[in-house]
Amino acid sequence: MEAKKPQLRKERIDRGIKVRADDIFALNSWREVIYLVGPRAIPVVGLLVLGPFLSAYSREILISTASYALLAISWDYMMMAGLASLGQSLLFGIGAYFTGILNHYFHLPWFITIPIATLTGSAFVSLLLTPVLRLRGVYFSMITLVLPLMFMRLIEATRILGGTEGLTGLDSFPNEWVSYYLIMFALLLALFGFRRLGDSDYGLIIRAIKDDDRSVMNAGLNVYWYKAQALFLGGCVGCFVGAFSTHYDMFCGMPGFALDYSIMPIACTLLGGMGSFAGALIGAFILVPLAEVLRAFGALRIVFYGGFLAFSIVALPEGLFHYLSRKYHQIERWVEVR
Amino acid sequence: MLEVRNLMVFFENALALNDFSMEVAKRELIGILGPNSAGKTTLMNAISGLLVDIRIKEMRRGGERISMYGSIDYEGKDITWTDPSERVKRGIVLCRERHPVFKESSVMENLKIAGYLMPRSHIKKTLEYGLELFPNLKRLRHKKAGFMSGGEQQMLAILMGIVANPKLFLLDEPLLGLSPMIQKMVMDTVLRLRSDLSLTILITEQFARPVLPVIDRGYVIENGILTVKGTGPELMENPEVKAAYLGS
Repeated sequence: MEAKKPQLRKERIDRGIKVRADDIFALNSWREVIYLVGPRAIPVVGLLVLGPFLSAYSREILISTASYALLAISWDYMMMAGLASLGQSLLFGIGAYFTGILNHYFHLPWFITIPIATLTGSAFVSLLLTPVLRLRGVYFSMITLVLPLMFMRLIEATRILGGTEGLTGLDSFPNEWVSYYLIMFALLLALFGFRRLGDSDYGLIIRAIKDDDRSVMNAGLNVYWYKAQALFLGGCVGCFVGAFSTHYDMFCGMPGFALDYSIMPIACTLLGGMGSFAGALIGAFILVPLAEVLRAFGALRIVFYGGFLAFSIVALPEGLFHYLSRKYHQIERWVEVR
Repeated sequence: MLEVRNLMVFFENALALNDFSMEVAKRELIGILGPNSAGKTTLMNAISGLLVDIRIKEMRRGGERISMYGSIDYEGKDITWTDPSERVKRGIVLCRERHPVFKESSVMENLKIAGYLMPRSHIKKTLEYGLELFPNLKRLRHKKAGFMSGGEQQMLAILMGIVANPKLFLLDEPLLGLSPMIQKMVMDTVLRLRSDLSLTILITEQFARPVLPVIDRGYVIENGILTVKGTGPELMENPEVKAAYLGS
């Protein structure tokens, strides 16, 4: 046989530690500890320590970024169960108005209104959407898209709850550190909580429903009950953001139902990568500050913004987080094909 | 007509086809036998070019990396990296496994989509021939394809391939999920197609019993490696093939 030119192939191998420590942590050295803890420490340290070193303006942007990140995480969780929601603004608005009512009419302080609005708001939304849980895909999206717009017009037309002016002069947080750490802790809790939940057996059911709900029914599980639970959990996060923002801005009104709160979280999650929650966080921390920076360009802002989004989705359809984690966990090398 | 030389296909680190070579002459009926995960479908995808498309999509999605080595020659020209649509124009038509049809369209609509590139007169002629071949489909021609039984869908899938005017017709597991009677009918049809339209046919199958008696030559692959090759009667006499595929 004549000598052939060697053919090369790029091989991917999981790092040894990844193989051993995907779920059970069996660590041998400090290096491995750092390998595992390092990426997880970045958001924790970054969010908790960064605050005091920033200017008031940057801190405000960071807080609004965290709000969008939470909405994105809530969207991601609902998407995990196959609930393609286009209505995170419904959650935001309901959370905001529940807080506004409790504070404006009943004069309850923030540490009572926020938990109550989070839970009752989410329960309210879940009840509202229970009849349409059977819908799938685009049909569910359409309902969730329409509901916030309907609520907006309802308030405008009937002039209840302050009408077009909304409820103003609500209590604010005692100082800015309370608000900063409240939302940051909530963000970290949602991020790591949902990630943990997604890896558990319960998360397995939730993901299986999206994959093939009929097979889940065949396993003897009530799909709609689990979907309602997913809706409630995701709704809690969304309503919390609405409740938080109400006290933060000392105002709740029709803008709470604005389309921004629906579209932005989806863009963030798609950029960062779906199904990982960390992707939603990364996406929000790129897109929201970017929108702020681009403000200098005036009307051209949307052009740049849209161009960036289109480019990133075409170039990296799997999302930033999945790409990075793959590069982090795998070795690639050329091997000869024989 | 077709020559596959040292074809190797990797899905990430898994080897789906290992150094596989075969040649097909004009008007031959070739069978490729093998159990699940032997690499039959991968071979069909490589010949029809779908693998080229899958490879690009996986790459962009960040999924499995597909690497392909070796070469595929068709009518003396290298087509290893040619687009699947170009290959159909040159006469390589694949009828994929699990009889994929357009479920929401009627039988006639399905056939019209499949023959979109062909002149109208050709479609008319082929349809007359095809519906005579499968009288069942004639009766069902205005029914939605999704409501038909598996056997009827398989017949439709074969007919859709025929309408696209193949020279080399690839059939990927046409007998999957069909009853023995229908299996026999499909095989008879395949033979008729070859003699009527002078096609070259490449057929992959797990069920050797209906296939082995009719093929000119066969290749048996296991885990991507060619284990036995020979003419139909030779394979039927082979003790290993007998034990593994004919159960005697």
